[in-house]
Amino acid sequence: MDDAIVFTLNGKQVRYAGSATARLLDVLREDYRLTGVKCGCREGECGACSVILDGRLANSCMVAMGRVDGGTVTTIEGYRETARFKALDEAYASVAAVQCGYCIPGMVLASECILAKNPHPSEAEIRVGISGNLCRCTGYNAIVKAIGIAAKEGEGLW
Amino acid sequence: MVNGYAPISLREALELMAAHKLTPYAGGTDLMIEEKREDSFLFLHKIPELKQVSDDGEYIRFGAACTFTELLEHSLTPALLKEALSRIAAPAIRDEGTIGGNIANGSAKADSALIFFVADAQLKLAGAGGERLLPIKDFYLGRKRLDRRPDELLVEVLLPKKWLGSYYYQKIGARKALAISRLSFAGLLTIEDGKIAHCATAFGAVSDVIIRRADIDAMLIGKTPAEGKAAKAAYLAAFNEAIIPIRGRVSAEYRKTVCLNLLGDFLERFGI
Repeated sequence: MDDAIVFTLNGKQVRYAGSATARLLDVLREDYRLTGVKCGCREGECGACSVILDGRLANSCMVAMGRVDGGTVTTIEGYRETARFKALDEAYASVAAVQCGYCIPGMVLASECILAKNPHPSEAEIRVGISGNLCRCTGYNAIVKAIGIAAKEGEGLW
Repeated sequence: MVNGYAPISLREALELMAAHKLTPYAGGTDLMIEEKREDSFLFLHKIPELKQVSDDGEYIRFGAACTFTELLEHSLTPALLKEALSRIAAPAIRDEGTIGGNIANGSAKADSALIFFVADAQLKLAGAGGERLLPIKDFYLGRKRLDRRPDELLVEVLLPKKWLGSYYYQKIGARKALAISRLSFAGLLTIEDGKIAHCATAFGAVSDVIIRRADIDAMLIGKTPAEGKAAKAAYLAAFNEAIIPIRGRVSAEYRKTVCLNLLGDFLERFGI
């Protein structure tokens, strides 16, 4: 019997033979070398480690490996290859929504989850959507603006 | 898998719980804060029986592994529960966190548990010896102490529908998102044919267990709003005595004052 945890990681099926109680965050960074997944707090307070798990945003620091068995995980490295990323990338750049960048991988994946659920979000909905992703540089306004621009410029992608 | 099981049916899950020393893993959002993980985990996300929501006429029945986001999106979830769920943490935590985990973590700060307390919800537990139903109030024996045998799983929450329509809810947190309740309050009050037909209150994050004193709330039931107003001072005094706050992130004095202010505001909203 195959004892490994099997899941889809950035579009490819992978088998993880380690502990089911290990943190997804640590496994992504250390075993799969996906260092775009950032570690800020390890307790679900900052959102820097956000990934998309089975189509929804998740803090990878609060997910044990057994939970992803049979599931789908997308990190910024996988998302980077999509047309939707390109629209967000350009929108963020157009209003200088990135300063130090540490929160940005999580922020971009949170942006994706906002737009996937609602391609035309209001400003209030955008703010709720990124409310678990802390940014200490920008003051959020540029990020909120960027998500609105991506929704407009990327019309039809979501 | 190593150090864990991910069963695909409730029966299989209960067999594993009976055979091994396991920690149930629902959403993981409380569990994973702990750095030390000694027990193996029983992952509950693949068990369809724990994901169901139904309406049996008297109760809305929620599978214990339903996530907050799933219930926010579900048409059977009552408005009061939706309001409390929408104030929990932030989207990524609502996507994984579950009502069963919120209850079985044993904290008096659990925002969904407050609603189940004020509504006098029943919990269904299943184990090697079969199933049992108990009022949520009886499930909590103290802080982080629950009436759950090691082989048992919390499988369902039965939320009585009858009095949920007319409610008052307040969560006091330090900020809008990602806020642990400093204090939370829920009240249900229904006036029918000019009389208070139902009154129920619950106070969260005040004491070791959520406070639900149906005996004190009964002081107002059966009275007209005018008679309720006359009984208000005695009612507030009874809660003043019953609420024994613990000191935590905020002082006991603050907690008590805010509890009584919210209780007074709740009654005023209903003209009492």
